[in-house]
Amino acid sequence: MTSKQLKTGAALVFEVLQQHDVKDVFGYPGGAIMPIYDALYDSEVKHFLCRHEQGAAFSAIGYARASGKVGVCLATSGPGATNLITGLADAMSDSIPIVAITGQVSTKSMGSDAFQEVDIIGLSLACTKHSFQVRDVNELADVLTQAFAIALEGRQGPVLVDIPKDIQLTKVEQTLELMTLGSCNTNQEPANVGSALALLSQAKKPMLYVGGGVGMAGAVEELREFINITGMPSVSTLKGLGAVTNNDSCYLGMLGMHGRKAANLAVQQCDLLIAVGARFDDRVTGKLAEFAPHAKVIHFDIDQAEIGKRRGVDAAIMGDLKVNLPALAIPLAIDDWRAHCQQLNTEFANDYTYLGKGIYAPAVLNEISNTLATRNQAEHTVITTDVGQHQMWVAQHMRFTKPSNFLTSGGQGAMGFGLPAAIGAQVSRPQDTVIAVCGDGSFMMNVQELGTIKRYQLPVKIVLVDNSKLGMVRQWQQLFFDERYSETDLSDNPDFVALAQAFNIKAKIITEKEQVSEAIAEMLNHQGPYLLQVKIDAFDNVWPLVPPDTANHKMLESMTK
Amino acid sequence: MTRQNHTLRITAENQPTVMEKLLQVTRYRGFIVTGMTMFPDTEQTKLTIELSVQSKNSIEHLQYQLHKLIDITDIAVNCTSSAQCRA
Repeated sequence: MTSKQLKTGAALVFEVLQQHDVKDVFGYPGGAIMPIYDALYDSEVKHFLCRHEQGAAFSAIGYARASGKVGVCLATSGPGATNLITGLADAMSDSIPIVAITGQVSTKSMGSDAFQEVDIIGLSLACTKHSFQVRDVNELADVLTQAFAIALEGRQGPVLVDIPKDIQLTKVEQTLELMTLGSCNTNQEPANVGSALALLSQAKKPMLYVGGGVGMAGAVEELREFINITGMPSVSTLKGLGAVTNNDSCYLGMLGMHGRKAANLAVQQCDLLIAVGARFDDRVTGKLAEFAPHAKVIHFDIDQAEIGKRRGVDAAIMGDLKVNLPALAIPLAIDDWRAHCQQLNTEFANDYTYLGKGIYAPAVLNEISNTLATRNQAEHTVITTDVGQHQMWVAQHMRFTKPSNFLTSGGQGAMGFGLPAAIGAQVSRPQDTVIAVCGDGSFMMNVQELGTIKRYQLPVKIVLVDNSKLGMVRQWQQLFFDERYSETDLSDNPDFVALAQAFNIKAKIITEKEQVSEAIAEMLNHQGPYLLQVKIDAFDNVWPLVPPDTANHKMLESMTK
Repeated sequence: MTRQNHTLRITAENQPTVMEKLLQVTRYRGFIVTGMTMFPDTEQTKLTIELSVQSKNSIEHLQYQLHKLIDITDIAVNCTSSAQCRA
């Protein structure tokens, strides 16, 4: 199919976006991107006006992660473009496919320190898979198509396309072929797994270490089938949560700095560790030299650069997990090891005992998960988080039926992620429930996005876990900095209920545990957006915690041990 | 582990950002550049870059990271002579 007519570069942008099935974009207008916003006026692409470019980038990420599609965000030159940078860094660390389109000053002004000119190409190179600057309108369609292809191929990630204003305004007679992107690696032969099979057949205590790559590869079903066939116990990274079925008695939950004791102990004891789409991140391994000290390692990944980057491997299996995982799926005789892992699971089950009338955040989060399950709503609910104590409590105490139902800033740990990511998720899955679990510190970092929720009447639910502190930093000050609480007190927070109400968002505060069940039900039953402020004790801590540069089995479990 | 010297011979598309990105990744992954020559082909579409680097880190890991860059098409590592690099 071809279309041939005189059109501006700006109009061409939307034509290419529509070719790539882009229905929704997130952005913020400004001088150097005005021609694109003018073309948007006539476009079928729906634009969501965020209230800060960082919000637009995080919304594009939330959209991509919840839907599996490429997220798109727009910003103007200079400060508009620099405000995208944190989102690009987040997408780079967590391998999220987004395309960021920035306006730039006209080509004749470039390099002259013009108004709102910044070298966004130079700035973005370090936090994108690739950055393009379009200097000829005849290259625009091809560059945008390449941007989508690069964002999706191999290890996914962000791509930036910078378009000077005069290029946006230039008219071009362009024949636009209907270009479709081939899916990656579909015809790949299984990798040679001979040496890995030998390691697997000799192992008595194998452990599967599941990372975010499983969800990114669309290999959740292959992973679950692998576990069914092998019977192998498993642990998950933060970004891998949701890949393993929660009712697997040998699934031990998250490992690492705030991992479950059962997960960390079992990994330290295993004799074969199979990393699947995981990268031995420092938050996972603790003291690297003492991580899984008895284990040989098999590493599945799509990125060669991750093999042996932090931990040497005994066998590497490169390529598409959907193809390669089945090649290693053989029945194993590991009943004793399975029984041991089940015993660890039972012995170190989560405990929600909490004295007094106050609210224990882990219990609230667990109850939300239970309520969603009871309502058969879990499959159709997306949870996003900000970063800090509440994020770790969500990872520890909530359950997810698939990775695309749990969106959190893993690699970067970017505060302020939860609210805009929830907006993106809600736009991509309008029929589903989206709950942003926020901390009071993080919430204020992108609080302006309440305006986006109001404008589009997005029924996002916000659970604001409020300890009036920068809780995780405060916890580390308590543990490792002699209780010197430098700049972590937020007792002068605004009235969050009044703040939400100012945006026509229904809101409620709860302070006692007996209020929790009714409040959760009220929030979930409410048709529109809702903010539930949950006041908790300022000195509740996240346990377990593996101190810095410490082996994962030497975790702290309270202030006294 | 002591610092080791390595030489990379890199073929790349002649795009405006390629040298910047190459040097950025080299620095970020812990390598010091000790020498560099760069020359385009006669059509000005491809670049050949000879990069001498020094690091305690594994040269393989730098090679894998550089391979991911969109405009880099080929990397040969540790050629001991210019003739061998061009072979």
